[in-house]
Amino acid sequence: MIQFISHYNERYTYLDSIRLALDGGCKWIQLRMKKKSPEEIMPIALEAQQMCREAGATFIIDDHVALVKEIHADGVHLGKNDMPIQDARELLGPDYIIGGTANTFEDLLAHYKAGANYIGCGPYRFTTTKENLSPILGVEGYKNIIEQMKRHSISIPIVAIGGITIEDIPDIMQTGISGIALSGTILRADDPIKTMQEIIDITQKYKK
Amino acid sequence: MVVIINNKNTETAASNLQELSVELNLPEKGVAIAINNQMVPRADWSKTAIQEMNDIIIIKAACGG
Repeated sequence: MIQFISHYNERYTYLDSIRLALDGGCKWIQLRMKKKSPEEIMPIALEAQQMCREAGATFIIDDHVALVKEIHADGVHLGKNDMPIQDARELLGPDYIIGGTANTFEDLLAHYKAGANYIGCGPYRFTTTKENLSPILGVEGYKNIIEQMKRHSISIPIVAIGGITIEDIPDIMQTGISGIALSGTILRADDPIKTMQEIIDITQKYKK
Repeated sequence: MVVIINNKNTETAASNLQELSVELNLPEKGVAIAINNQMVPRADWSKTAIQEMNDIIIIKAACGG
């Protein structure tokens, strides 16, 4: 299960990046445009949402709860400095997916109790995409969190995030993590569409 | 038949994802399903067969899972 997080570089715009991910077969897109206002994000979000609908992909937006509700996106992803999950749930009601970023089992437990539907857990390793970095987790960090979830009888899908490359994916999936969130790995690839296809193949072949 | 839904063994009579979504009373919106780590668009649920011990992840907009 792959979530693509939009980004831009000298080659691609936000929408280009989403188009590449969808063309590579990705069915879960997060539009993240840090430091942009809802007014700036709205037109891009509407276009991205249309692209996702046509491709049958789930479309969520980072941070902007009101915008998600206004354009009827599928859900919102909330980072550590965004709106608390219970507040977002109150605003959105039961019909939207809410994801939360967690760095530790304690974060995860809090998000789970607050009504999150999935967890973005990381960072796996150091990455320049995200500022305000938390301590890196690595494979051992994920094993540890999965172990504690079992101990507390908690089940919630977890997506690993943060500087993950193709080579890392088998080891991460081995821990019991449900999916992988990617951004830079796709955009920096020589052929982003082919790279996305390869990554989806790898996760699909993987069985617990 | 037993399938694994969000890491839990679950008994189901469904033969495809559409039937499973009915069986589980999944809402019309705010649901994403992956089968063996591959996300399946809602439009393809009815033609996506499920088999014994398939690994299914349901991300839905209701607490828990």
